[in-house]
Amino acid sequence: MNLTRWAQAFIAKNLSMEDALPTRMPVYVNSIVYLFGAMTLAALGMLIATGVIITIFGPGWWHVSRAGHFVNSLHFWSAQVFFAGLLLHLIGKFFMAAWRGGRWPAWVVGAIAFGLSVFSGLTGFILQTNWDSQWISGQAKDAMNALGVGRIVNTMNSGQMLTLHVVVLPLFVVCLVAVHVLIVRHEGPVRPIGAEEHDA
Amino acid sequence: MSARSDATLRGIPTKPYDLLREGLIVFAVVAVLIVVLAAAFGSPDYPTLTAQEVAEQEPVAYLKLVSGYLSGGSDLQTYGPPYTANPANAQRIFGFAPANILGVALPIDARKDFVLEPLARVARLRPSVQDALHQFESASDSDRAAWVAHYTVALDKAQVVGPSVELAAGDYGPVPALMDGMLDLARAGLMEAALNASANQPYALDNTKALLFMQGDVESQVAGTLDMQGGQWGISHETGNYPGAWWLWPYTFLYQVPAIGNSPNADALAGAIIGLVFLLLLTLPFIPGLNRLPRGLKVYRVIWRDWYRNHPRP
Repeated sequence: MNLTRWAQAFIAKNLSMEDALPTRMPVYVNSIVYLFGAMTLAALGMLIATGVIITIFGPGWWHVSRAGHFVNSLHFWSAQVFFAGLLLHLIGKFFMAAWRGGRWPAWVVGAIAFGLSVFSGLTGFILQTNWDSQWISGQAKDAMNALGVGRIVNTMNSGQMLTLHVVVLPLFVVCLVAVHVLIVRHEGPVRPIGAEEHDA
Repeated sequence: MSARSDATLRGIPTKPYDLLREGLIVFAVVAVLIVVLAAAFGSPDYPTLTAQEVAEQEPVAYLKLVSGYLSGGSDLQTYGPPYTANPANAQRIFGFAPANILGVALPIDARKDFVLEPLARVARLRPSVQDALHQFESASDSDRAAWVAHYTVALDKAQVVGPSVELAAGDYGPVPALMDGMLDLARAGLMEAALNASANQPYALDNTKALLFMQGDVESQVAGTLDMQGGQWGISHETGNYPGAWWLWPYTFLYQVPAIGNSPNADALAGAIIGLVFLLLLTLPFIPGLNRLPRGLKVYRVIWRDWYRNHPRP
């Protein structure tokens, strides 16, 4: 079996160029609700860009530099806008019952990305290395310990929190978001309720 | 189009669209919004609570914290897994204690790790502490317990005179000399460094001991003044007027429910409930009734109102 040929056939079958980069949309895609996903993606882009800058200069940079503090503020507000967009997107898709017509994989992958994003946000708050992180890490460790994962996820181990926040979690979140978007583009936007062809 | 998307759009009128143009516009708007918010409001940076700060400003509170560790009576010393071998104290969900599965995976001996070992470092610099440490460690358990107990009681009536904490005369053994050593170590700003010292110096990436050491009445009081206690919606907001992790409100809300917030198993219960809620969210498309809830709520009629104007529902 030629894996490359199989991959070519799989992509050609499931994701045409018009799916990936559409130039036409069904007329029912006409609501601000459709922008919340894009808003989330844009904020994720800002989170990554500002996070990379903070990573380059180090986690303590923002305490001693005005430029660093500003980049930290950009990162902080990017997180706020990201979660605002994410929650609005999630609520909007719920009201649209966007899992109809066999679209549950996009819902499930999106929900997992949401859960990982929340955890990523927690590690971010813990990494501020100020009073908030001192207090939050102490409170969060009780939750982790109570659930039996305090050794695996030690919120007071700054080295572990740092690597989780800047490498592991963003990697998983970005991969899941990419899969989520590709599934959505493969399936096309869910039809309005009452206009379904194949929906249960 | 793929067969899948083709089926979705079959029979549906379409309109011109430019994904990249729309994406760039949204990104630009979001980026500008973030820059404006960052420039206008900045971000919170309330300083950490340090042992030095507490030892300087609240020396009696600091000494109470240390004497608690020395006596073995601090909450941490009976915390249970993963720190101490007190499995009965692990939080439970319907009698099941998840923390007991891995057991004491992060052992903390607060008397040794937080007091005696840091004092051993001070002793290298100050012979009086070395003598006191030797006397303490070679004494019987009952003598040590009595000295620390007398000292702890006396702290309630201690007088702070200049840099000194003066106690009424009593049988404290070498404890005052040990406590002076701990006070000086903190006032020199070296307490956290002594606690964080790792086996492979100079690297110290794990702050578990230093952060655990500071947990206690003083830290709770600071959190209380900043409205950050569990009963004050805890970790879902930051210091000042900044929004924090407001998306954790459903989680922190659980701590406001007396049956959960006042329970010794509060964290386990809240964690289990949130875990269940997440599972519901994840499996929503498959749960009969819940997966049809949006049809009943009819918010979709607002979202697709333009469509329904021309395509009335049958």
